[in-house]
Amino acid sequence: MVMEVDLTENVPSIELTEAESELYDRQIRLWGLESQKRLRTAKILISGLNGLGAEITKNIILSGVSLVKLHDDKLVTEEDFSSQFLVPRESLTTNRAQASLERARDLNPMVDISADTEPLKNKTSEFFGQFDVVVVNGQSNEELLRIDTICREKGVKFYASDVWGTFGFFFAGLQTHRYVEDEIKYKLISKPKEKPKYETVSKPVQHEVEYPAYSSWLNFNINAAGYQRKLKRNGPGIVLLRILQKFRIIHKRDPSYKTREQDLTKLQVIRDELISSPTATDLNEQVLGMLFAQISPAVAIVGGVVAQEVIKVITKVEAPHRNLFIFDPNTCAGYVETIGVN
Amino acid sequence: MAASIDGILPKTLQELVKSSKVLVVGAGGIGCEVLKNLVLSGFLDIEIIDLDTIDLSNLNRQFLFHREHVGKSKANVARESALSFNPDSKIIAHHDSVTSAKYGVNFFKKFNVVLSALDNRAARNHVNRMCLNADVPLIESGTSGYNGQVEIIKRGLTQCYECTPKEKQRSFPGCTIRNTPSEPIHCIVWAKHLFNQLFGESLEDEDISPDSADPEAQDKNEGDANEKEANEKEATEGEAKEQKKEDKQDDGNIVRINTRQWAKDCEYDPTKLFNKFFNEDINYLLRMSNLWESRKAPTPIEWSSLQPVEGEVSEYGKQHHRIWSIGECSQIFANTLKDLSSAFLNLEGDDTLVWDKDDQPAMDFVSACANIRSHIFDIEKKSRFEIKSMAGNIIPAIATTNAITAGLSVMRAFNVLQSKWKQCNSVYARLRTNGRNQFLVPDTFFPPPNPNCYVCASDPAIILKVDTKRITIKDLRDEILIKTLNMVDPDVTVDRTGSILLSSEEGETTENEGKLLSEMNVVDGVILECDDFHQNYKLRIIINHFDADREDNLFEVVADKSQLQPKDEIKEAEDKPVEEKRSRKRSANGNDSPDDGPSTSKRSRPDPEEDDCMVIEDDDDDVVITSPPDNDSDPSPPSPKKPETGCKRKASTDITEILDSSDEDDDDNTQPKKTKLDDTPSDVINID
Repeated sequence: MVMEVDLTENVPSIELTEAESELYDRQIRLWGLESQKRLRTAKILISGLNGLGAEITKNIILSGVSLVKLHDDKLVTEEDFSSQFLVPRESLTTNRAQASLERARDLNPMVDISADTEPLKNKTSEFFGQFDVVVVNGQSNEELLRIDTICREKGVKFYASDVWGTFGFFFAGLQTHRYVEDEIKYKLISKPKEKPKYETVSKPVQHEVEYPAYSSWLNFNINAAGYQRKLKRNGPGIVLLRILQKFRIIHKRDPSYKTREQDLTKLQVIRDELISSPTATDLNEQVLGMLFAQISPAVAIVGGVVAQEVIKVITKVEAPHRNLFIFDPNTCAGYVETIGVN
Repeated sequence: MAASIDGILPKTLQELVKSSKVLVVGAGGIGCEVLKNLVLSGFLDIEIIDLDTIDLSNLNRQFLFHREHVGKSKANVARESALSFNPDSKIIAHHDSVTSAKYGVNFFKKFNVVLSALDNRAARNHVNRMCLNADVPLIESGTSGYNGQVEIIKRGLTQCYECTPKEKQRSFPGCTIRNTPSEPIHCIVWAKHLFNQLFGESLEDEDISPDSADPEAQDKNEGDANEKEANEKEATEGEAKEQKKEDKQDDGNIVRINTRQWAKDCEYDPTKLFNKFFNEDINYLLRMSNLWESRKAPTPIEWSSLQPVEGEVSEYGKQHHRIWSIGECSQIFANTLKDLSSAFLNLEGDDTLVWDKDDQPAMDFVSACANIRSHIFDIEKKSRFEIKSMAGNIIPAIATTNAITAGLSVMRAFNVLQSKWKQCNSVYARLRTNGRNQFLVPDTFFPPPNPNCYVCASDPAIILKVDTKRITIKDLRDEILIKTLNMVDPDVTVDRTGSILLSSEEGETTENEGKLLSEMNVVDGVILECDDFHQNYKLRIIINHFDADREDNLFEVVADKSQLQPKDEIKEAEDKPVEEKRSRKRSANGNDSPDDGPSTSKRSRPDPEEDDCMVIEDDDDDVVITSPPDNDSDPSPPSPKKPETGCKRKASTDITEILDSSDEDDDDNTQPKKTKLDDTPSDVINID
């Protein structure tokens, strides 16, 4: 849906201080002053302070939002040190959100940052309703479905994301989202007999797009006949996501480096149950062997992507990807599947 | 850390990570992220080099630095911060330039892989040459706004950084700047020149006064008379002490070599200076009536006619996003003139001020003067914020693109260490998805090295089209060999006679420097042997003399003989639809969506005044970019227009590079119809 654009619609009536203008100068030159003002009032929840959570947190805090709540009831483990740079070594076995606070605050003293350590399942709709965007890492499908549903009721934008080893994904639950995008066109400016000369013209256009619920992904049939061609073209990422989420459901945990060999076997069993297509051979041991803990560069990529999406959502500039993102570490391709949209 | 925990990485990779020695060049936006990824992945032996210090505007993305680090060495602070993430790593920090002679081929040879995260093309070219020489794989990266790119360079296997021509800058003829500006950038360039004329290093071709030798101003019949009259009139005007310059090249041209002295003699009286630059000089231009036959004539402004301004300069001067009125600009002009002149007069000896976009009075001065001149010529005025982008070559930079790009860089380092060369193709980060719904886009094939590359070919040579009667030996060294061809310290001998033109030994060839090439018998057909000992780089230069016209560049490097073709065939505007076609094509093979290339929309991306385009430098650090992926090697059908390989450059000219977006479906019937859309590299047309 395309409509008339009011670029200043709902822009908070605040002025940035000189210090803010200077600090955010290089990004204001990219997304403009209005976007920076929108960021300035945004409140974000990041649940799950694993390596991915830390990367998303870093990028969001640097962008200059108003408030970031770090939420986690888990403790820092040795595994976190392979990508969670917000927790110091000496914080082992303390709460991960608490342990991340100090370094998170150092990233940008202008942002209000606090920690919450209560289990996620105890959190009700009032809690989620305080935020503009909620990002949840490392949760079960059941819990993601519950939070997505709450967010839909409350009109809060929702992201689910995960990284296993070097493989990652996000799901965007944005309900109805309005944004502005520049459309760029060429205009012929030369006269008929002259050599053709063009001028670019860019015009902001507003769009309104529907983002389906998380249930659309849970109900999505990866074995559907009509989907196989696409699967072949994009690679087996979406199948791998299914396998890993299934592993989490069955074993109530993720594959562990401590039981690497046994877990590789378990992954293969789930793979063979879930799919019969030739894709199974693409998900060989080499691919499955890179799914343990969270590896820093991959987490940086997925964390960068998720944070950029959150920024797009807050600033209402540019189209957020709809709606399932896959990072394929084998090729380094990052692509988007549209799930649940006819 | 990851590698030190058994079971996280596969055994072979784990061992490689633990035992490899890695060099990170650049501790800016990408460098900080790369360093973090390396230590967390378990690399134990890392060196990082950066000559820069930390600036406040870095802190929105260079997350290893905090407010208390402003002014400190990037390399050192990055090292300390990264060590807190993994105290087991060993990091050596060098607060130094990578082009320094300390870091020779033997230094580079120590490393298993080099990750470069630089912000300028000169340093990139240098690191490229060092890695080729040392035969160390190089992972080259850059970002600009939402766009990022990572490419692997491995001797003999891939293209080197200099295999493909980088796009050219747009330069402005002196006449446009001095006589007939038509765009804001022309006035901004003029204002920077004015700053330099008054307070900075004054360069002859940065003159700001009217150029009476403008060919367009000459009327065929009465030109001489008019000009003479104008010159005489000018010469008698007492206030500005004009001097005729005895210059055989510039017959009849008045060059105001003494603007600086005159301004000083006037004690920088704002009224006098304002009236000279914005009234008398404009009136002089008006007398060159031919210029205004097809243009709107400028309107001079007198200081006395200015309306009084309400409010304090200190208040409206801070409003960087609002366009200042002419009255406000004039007050700011007067105020900054006071600040700058007193700073200038306090300097010792021949020292001069250096224009810096982050120096408030210098930036205010240029903003005010550019807008006053724009007003005079009826050109759109700009806010100080916008002028800063254009005058300071600022490349927008965000944390997320840097994080993504650095992540891709280290992912590729894993492949490089495992010698998985087939999985090392370039990757691009984009804002929007391409035709395959990718926005992190790996190339679908490996472009082979360019056999005519003047860096990595076995016996590299270039043709130098040069006006040997106007270029000196010093110009050859500074402008051509160092600035354009990125050598560090070249020796040059004449091939046939073996005589030494330039020596890297200090003082050995000083007496040659002022001589013209032709005076040294370097004329058409002569071959020069250049040797940069530090880069271990030898290049043959074939001299091709031409008589440059007044507005011609005095030299042009042609990297490839087949590129010697009439320049008329390559018109910038026409290229756009061609680019477009190529972009579309790439969308199909999975590479890029055209409209979010580095050239994104004008709104979101200011036109950088720059020195090249593939790499746009900036004094920030992240930097740079690229034309859309595989510009020159993409499997597109043959195009009748080849990209230029030569790099054109005019000796110390102001240059601006305006990138245009390319998103449109305009039909260009000069293009052959695309018949095949395919991913396979068999389609590759090597454009050499």
